[in-house]
Amino acid sequence: MKILIIEDEPELAKGMVDYLSGQHYLCELATDYHQAREKIGMHQYDCILLDLMLPGGSGMEILDELKAQHKEDGVIIISAKNSLEDKIHGLELGADDYLAKPFHLSELSARIFSVIRRKNFANSNVIQQGELKVDLLAKTVEVAGSVVLLTKKEFDLLLFFMGNKNKVISKSALAEHLSGDLADMLDNHDFIYAHIKNLKKKLAEAGSGSYLKTLYGNGYKWEI
Amino acid sequence: MGNMSKLLNKSLRRFAAYAGIVLACSIPVYYFAISKLWQYELDEHNIILTPEAGREDTFIIIGAITLLTVFFFALLLGGFIWLNRRISHRLWQPFYHTLEKIRAFDLSNHTAVEFEHSNIAEFEELNSSISRLLDSNITTFRQQKEFTENASHELQTPLAIVQLKLDLLMQAPSLTSAQAQIIEETHNALSRVSRINKNLLLLAKIENQQFSELEDIDLAESLQRILELLSALFGEKAIHCKIDSSYLLKGNPILVEIMLTNLLMNALRHSAPEEGLELSLSANVLRISNPGRNELDSSKLFRRFSTASAHTPGSGLGLSLVKEICNRYGWSVSYRFEGQMHSFSVAF
Repeated sequence: MKILIIEDEPELAKGMVDYLSGQHYLCELATDYHQAREKIGMHQYDCILLDLMLPGGSGMEILDELKAQHKEDGVIIISAKNSLEDKIHGLELGADDYLAKPFHLSELSARIFSVIRRKNFANSNVIQQGELKVDLLAKTVEVAGSVVLLTKKEFDLLLFFMGNKNKVISKSALAEHLSGDLADMLDNHDFIYAHIKNLKKKLAEAGSGSYLKTLYGNGYKWEI
Repeated sequence: MGNMSKLLNKSLRRFAAYAGIVLACSIPVYYFAISKLWQYELDEHNIILTPEAGREDTFIIIGAITLLTVFFFALLLGGFIWLNRRISHRLWQPFYHTLEKIRAFDLSNHTAVEFEHSNIAEFEELNSSISRLLDSNITTFRQQKEFTENASHELQTPLAIVQLKLDLLMQAPSLTSAQAQIIEETHNALSRVSRINKNLLLLAKIENQQFSELEDIDLAESLQRILELLSALFGEKAIHCKIDSSYLLKGNPILVEIMLTNLLMNALRHSAPEEGLELSLSANVLRISNPGRNELDSSKLFRRFSTASAHTPGSGLGLSLVKEICNRYGWSVSYRFEGQMHSFSVAF
């Protein structure tokens, strides 16, 4: 899987490459507008991470360019502005998702995971991992053939973990994923314990292996 | 305009009073002059009147003069009023045009005002001065908006870098539990910084009269949606809802949602797990109450960074945002402490 990271801030770009390379993605980097134009013209990517404010031009123009070339690459806008107009405009221009800075790397990885799944497996979008089978379209989970009933939040969590295989995910990243903007206003993120406990219990009862590990008391890891 | 009087009416009253005084003072002067002349004529022709006839003449002279004076005063007054109407109608026309333009001016539109050309120097000067003033206002507003966005961009990027580095540090294989704990605590402080940054920008945007688009919002529907979201986070806390009838209000959907969420989150955060909160909506008043022990300092409650109790870890901006949004739409938000309950109500 190939990912193009268009980001002018070197520290951010480096960090993203670090994390995503560990997820077996092949990462390429473009640090300004012209480099980005060149790369999208020559190669096909599974997912493009696009910063809107770039030296030499705007990220929106790159979206226009992709559309003009009828490219099918998945695009996630990463912006510091977090303005609703930008979000709507970007999605109208064909971006698949919008992520506001600052964000958690695990959130980014989960979004990339879902964009790539959506683009590449439009008709039968099923993830098979050992005895675990997740149907992304029907939103159902089966363990060794028998259906496990998960709540919406639990299903969300499961996908989030699968999109961050073998990575340590902090409690706050999970809280922000589950509650969106509201996580900001919470004093503690204890509400995720209940969801994780239930998810673990349901999977274990259905006979799934224990992939979900708790680390350091406040981190989690989906280990395979 | 109520009991205010127009500019020209004010001067008319003075003119009329002055004319009245002058004419009133002229009555004895005329009388004195005429009776002197009359006496002179009588003496010239050696006519001697009886005292009765003399008194009769005096009365006739005074009467005639008073009558004539009153007649001329009425004539003057009528003329003044008529002229005044005509002058004010024509002369002040450009002034009223300018006034109308200023009244219709909206800073968030970013459009400069074009005044009609006038051939009176004073009005022309007034128009150009106002134009200059408005232009500089529009420029300042634009700069402020740009600053808001730039500040956001400049702060979000370093914040994003710190967060990303912490995420990477979390992946280190040799990490100990104690170190992981430090990372998590750093995370929490960091997200507080980003929240303050975000809320400050939001406040600035509201003050800049952004979010100007208006929509009809069904209050009961919005509340229901937010409560659903919150119940996933505060499953164990009960929310007693009493919605008598919905209320349709006009506002920006984003701002209304921020206001409702802040009020509800505030109440939920400050109540113990086993306690619930009460929400009621009847007619145009929304009330959200939760149990509490001590009354909060209501004079400080809605001010920025003046969190009334020292134990709250909030951003210190939640309630000032609520206040700002209410101000914007002319709603009133108030706090009361009754029967061991904190109660916030908004009257739409």
